[in-house]
Amino acid sequence: MTGIKDTNVHFHQELEELERKVLSMVDRAEQMVEMAVQAVTSDDTELARRVVELDQGIDLTYAEVHQDWTSLMARNQPLGSDLRRMAVLIQLNVTFERMGDQCVNIAKIAQLNHGLPRVERICEQIREMGDLVRPMIRTAIEAYVRGDVDEARLLPAMDQPVDRLNANMYKETVAVGNNAQLLEWATKMLMVSRALERVGDQAVDFGEQTAYLMTGEWAEFDEDGMARPIDDNDSI
Amino acid sequence: MTNETSTENTIEGVIGERMTTKPDRAGEAGPAATEIRGVIETKDMSVFYGDFLAVASVSLNFGRNQISALIGPSGCGKSTVLRSLNRMNDLVATARTEGEVHYHGQNIYADGVDPVEVRRTIGMVFQKPNPFPKSIFDNISWGARINGFRGSKSEMADLVQQALEAAALWDEVKDKLADSGYSLSGGQQQRLCIARAIATQPDVILMDEPCSALDPIATLRIEELMLELKENYSIIIVTHNMQQAARVSDKTAFFNVKLNESGMRTGRLVEYSPTEQLFTSPTEKDTEDYITGRFG
Repeated sequence: MTGIKDTNVHFHQELEELERKVLSMVDRAEQMVEMAVQAVTSDDTELARRVVELDQGIDLTYAEVHQDWTSLMARNQPLGSDLRRMAVLIQLNVTFERMGDQCVNIAKIAQLNHGLPRVERICEQIREMGDLVRPMIRTAIEAYVRGDVDEARLLPAMDQPVDRLNANMYKETVAVGNNAQLLEWATKMLMVSRALERVGDQAVDFGEQTAYLMTGEWAEFDEDGMARPIDDNDSI
Repeated sequence: MTNETSTENTIEGVIGERMTTKPDRAGEAGPAATEIRGVIETKDMSVFYGDFLAVASVSLNFGRNQISALIGPSGCGKSTVLRSLNRMNDLVATARTEGEVHYHGQNIYADGVDPVEVRRTIGMVFQKPNPFPKSIFDNISWGARINGFRGSKSEMADLVQQALEAAALWDEVKDKLADSGYSLSGGQQQRLCIARAIATQPDVILMDEPCSALDPIATLRIEELMLELKENYSIIIVTHNMQQAARVSDKTAFFNVKLNESGMRTGRLVEYSPTEQLFTSPTEKDTEDYITGRFG
């Protein structure tokens, strides 16, 4: 095999730099999920404040990525896998920014719920959801970095218990009874559950982007991580 | 040379057939209508210059009323392939073509086929605009007369106007048809050459890097023109500009240079795919390397 020379070195360096920036967002989002769950389940408003602060960093990076992406696109007209990577990065930029927003939603609920009475059982479930969602983000990151489509395809299966716990949260909320303060607290925890469920979905989206990058074919995953036929796509 | 000996099915005969069957797309129905109909097909075509094998075993089917692009690095044989499609390579003394090139099913390299007639039917536009040192009007009328146009003076005037209109040049030159072709800008000269090719009523137009000597605005005008022309013609273009291929073509063929056992650098067809596919997720690693700027 004769050596392949990269005649597009500068572009590829900038593309890698852009990719690092985008991945730094999801690293931070993963950390924020842990902090936000901890804050909301242990009534830690200081921790909640730090989550909101961290999100400002994500928002700054989001704006930077948008700027860098547009500039790269204008100066180079990437093709092939470079083009697919660019398409994936602009999509992930939005996905990760929203992941951060979900964590902020949870943190703000932690602040609103401060001092209210609580139900330990519900806190347990929220912690469990957090413990399921964070490994999903980690798996999605690793699948992307390794270009491992099989690993990305595991994500829908990992997401299923998250969806089940979220669906169950309504029952838990109703079960808290008529105490007004307890009900106020539990209703907000329903929104926390919903936010974590969204983060799980965003991790699955991340996996779908990895599959597109590697295969060149865009498809949503079905629950087994296989390509869902377009005409069968009745979600949303 | 694998010449066919039968001359029953002459190019002229094929052209007569084409004239009567050409505007038939609307009449097509059923699943066949979605299939691309071929206009030129090469079968295992190789081109030599003396002992040097320039490009080997090319089998390609170019679609009718499509723009097909040939891309690849210098020396990959794309221009050689283009020039073999209308026997332009016959004009190079050492050039030799093996295999077959079928135009509407007829091998243009068969015995008895008139290469001049082939070149009229399958016209060519070159890299550098090359108008004749004559008036704008004569640039078009000459080519038509040489190629057997026998109409009256007013019919010739109509032909010139039609050709200039088809080449999107009429409005810019209608008041100065007697001016020299050289008085035009580079982009206008290239459109004049396209008009000249059109005036001979070809079926296929080959373009060999038609925009490489033009500025970006003139380039975009030619590209727009190509998209209009494909309604009535089949276009095959060689371009160094991948973005140009991506913008205008329906299908793209990627050629690459390969070293053979004896160290000879021979061009080969690597991949021929719908343009969108070739530039977003090509099948072959060689193509991927080339379009992302990684070059062996």
